[in-house]
Parts: sequence; structure tokens; C-alpha cells
Amino acid sequence: MQSGRSQSMVGPIPERVQVFQPADSDTRGKHMIRAELKRLEQETRFLEEELEQIERMEMASTACKELLSNVETTPDPLLPITSGPLNLSWDQWFEGPQESRGCRCWIL
Amino acid sequence: MSVAELKEKHAAATETVNNLRERLKQRRQQLLDTDVAGYARSQGKSPLTFGPTDLLCCRTLQGHTGKVYSLDWTPERNRIVSASQDGRLIVWNALTSQKTHAIKLPCAWVMTCAFSPAGQSVACGGLDSMCSIFNLNSQTDRDGNLPVSKTLSGHKGYVSCCQYVPDEDIHIITSSGDQTCVLWDITTGLRTSVFGGEFQSGHTADVLSVSINGSNSRMFVSGSCDATARLWDSRVASRAVRTFHGHEGDVNTVKFFPDGNRFGTGSDDGTCRLFDIRTGHQLQVYYQQHGDNEVPHVTSIAFSISGRLLFAGYSNGDCYVWDTLLAKVVLNLGSVQNSHEGRITCLGLSADGSALCTGSSDTNLKIWAFGGHRRVI
Repeated sequence: MQSGRSQSMVGPIPERVQVFQPADSDTRGKHMIRAELKRLEQETRFLEEELEQIERMEMASTACKELLSNVETTPDPLLPITSGPLNLSWDQWFEGPQESRGCRCWIL
Repeated sequence: MSVAELKEKHAAATETVNNLRERLKQRRQQLLDTDVAGYARSQGKSPLTFGPTDLLCCRTLQGHTGKVYSLDWTPERNRIVSASQDGRLIVWNALTSQKTHAIKLPCAWVMTCAFSPAGQSVACGGLDSMCSIFNLNSQTDRDGNLPVSKTLSGHKGYVSCCQYVPDEDIHIITSSGDQTCVLWDITTGLRTSVFGGEFQSGHTADVLSVSINGSNSRMFVSGSCDATARLWDSRVASRAVRTFHGHEGDVNTVKFFPDGNRFGTGSDDGTCRLFDIRTGHQLQVYYQQHGDNEVPHVTSIAFSISGRLLFAGYSNGDCYVWDTLLAKVVLNLGSVQNSHEGRITCLGLSADGSALCTGSSDTNLKIWAFGGHRRVI
């Protein structure tokens, strides 16, 4: 009988290993699948909650309207046209030496 | 239950989740009656026009001998901390360009740095998987090095980003390659909360960036290699408040919008996006073709203080200034006079909004301010 296994077997021990190893990995595999299944069931619950919330949700235009209003009423020193009030400290970067003649030491 | 039966249940559950996701996606699509640009146009908003010398480079901070990876401003007195490939943090007075501290790090592979709200300490993190705190007022050791005053260890992967919780010097939030974010108590050095990870639902890949809401410091967003951004309530570590889908690649950077109800993202897919935190809506996509056949990654973003401008650094050296309302590029800081010689790796706005700092692979930092004629309405 040609069997690679029977040629390499040296008594009953390899057979025992063959009996236990599959069961061990079987248990490990079960744990992993169970954990993953639990995660999926949790994800299902979260998604169902989100679907319920979305029924009561506002359209995007409501958020856009609020955003526009917030942007336009906030003074912004980096804009060519901005709402006030102006803050004199915005121009602090152009008072005194313009280009860096300050510390140029190289840290070694 | 046998393995085969479990596998069957798993397949059924996967299908349920996918169906629910599809239904959510479609339902959301029905609520997207407009985007920001469409709405702004309908309101007759005028486009912004920037002259070539309106945003001027007014300081070049030289001193690092390697690429600059990260920078952060203090909330007051115009100081900046920067982290570099040279294994050092430098603290700068941005107005005078003076260096006040040069900190040699125990681990040279730094990726992020942050200034504490009171300006007394700085934090950094990187490939050592730890977040190190330095008290700027402590005495230097014999070699002139500032000692580490606290080490926050516990992450099982690199620390990609860190930010102090505003208005207090005690808590800091980190994001990590171990797929979690952590809220730390710096006094004890212990983790107060872990967001995501093995036993909780969270990101399913490396987390690359965090941003804390300036208007409500309990809320923060994170961006990840799983192509999502997630909104968290720091009191609820077990699950994200909301997950934001849309990007088609790693989300490298997240930043809260100034009004605290929206946040921006930048991704390997070449787009920046604006999301609304209360509804989860994707309000705008910011994308413009850079050249033939190239889609450079967005590496860093910052909003101007009103939110009208979005600054975005790209992997090809561009630094687009977006008009967030009309979704148009108004300037490219990567190609103006006196721009960096390498790509811009990090960006940050000063506390009063009057200056933008950019850090680059050319080892320098630059400060940009508005030098044109300003009209106040």
C-alpha cells in the first residue's frame, strides 16, 4: 500500500498527534469565528440604530446654510475681504525685521 | 455549534451588515440635496481672489538638519514646537525667529509633536510607540539636554499624532499604528481610556491623525488607513459616535472646522473632504487635477480661523489654498515666490489666525501672513 504517512510512521504517537492537532486548531478557529460573529452582530445593531436616526435627519442644505453663516461672520486675518472687527496685532508679522535675520545657529 | 455552522452564521451576518451599509449609503444620498459649493453658488457668493503677493512668507525658521515632520503652535505668545527627522524638537519664537529650546530626543524616530495649552511643556511620539513629555522649565542635564519628565507607554504600535486636550495641561490624546486612540492622564502616566482596539469597535487599521474639537473638547475625530474617519466622545470609549465613509484611501489627516460642527480630512485618494458631525453628511469634496496621470496624496490640512480657507499640503510639493465655500483653489503656496524647496509635510495656524506655519522636507519652517490690502466689511 502506498501511503506517505505509513512510511514515515514509527508507532502510535504520530497518530495521537494527528488526532489532537486538528481538534486544537478547530477550537482556536471556533473562538476566532465566534469573536468575529459577535463583532458583526454588534455592527448590525449600530447600523440599524443609524438607519433609524437617518429617518429624522436634516438635509445637507441645512448644514451648508449654517456653515456659510458661521464662516461669513468670523473675522479672518488671512482674507482680503473679511468681517470686522479688525485686530491691529494681525499685522505684527510685518512690523520689525521682515526676513529672518534672527537665530540661524545650526544645532549639532 | 460546529465550525461549519458558525461559518454559515458568519456569512449570513456579513451579508446583513453589507445590506445595511448599502441601505444607509442610499438613504444618505437622498439627503444630500446640495454640497457647500452648490449652496454657496445659489446664494450668489463671490469667489475669493488672491494676488500673487497677498500671502507672503514673512519668516523662514532655519535650524533643523532633517525633514520637518510635525509642528504645533502655542495658544498664546506665538511660539511653535517642531519635530524633525534629525531626532530633535525645536521650540521657536515665531515673531523673532529665535530658538528657545532644542531638545534631543531619546528616540530619533519622531512623527508628531504638540504644545501644551499653558505653553509649559511639549509632547512628542513616534516609532518608539511612546509619547514623551518635556517640561520646558526643567533644568537641562550635564549634556545640556532637557530630560523627559513623563513617558506615556502602552501603545502597541507607533504614535502617529498627539494633541493636548485644550484648556488643561493634564490630558493628551494620541493616535497609533496599533489601531487605537488613547486618552492619557499625564500626571499619573496612565491610560484613562482606549478608543477602539481588540475588544471594542473602532478603526480596523493604523490610526494616523487626531483632532480635538475646540468648541467641545470632549469630542475628537480620528483618521485611519481603514479609509474612514471616526468621531469619538472621550467619555464613551466602547464605540465611535459616528463613522464617516467616503474616502478611497488612507485618511492621513483630520482637522476640526473652526465652528466645531464640521471637520476636514485629507487622504491618499487625493481629496480633502468636509463632514458634518451631527448628521454624518459629507458636505464637500475638494479635488483638482494636479497634472497628467498623477493623484498626489494629501498629507496635511489646516483651516483659516473663519474656515473660509483650507490649506492642504500634497505629496508632490503643492500646497493648495482652497476657498472652502466655492471649492476652488485660489493659490498654490508650493509655487509662489519664496516657497519651500521641498514638499510641505505639516501645517498649522497660529491661535489668532494671523499666520500659517508650514514645515517641509527641506528642513525649514515658514510663516505666512496676509500682506496685501485688507478690506473690512
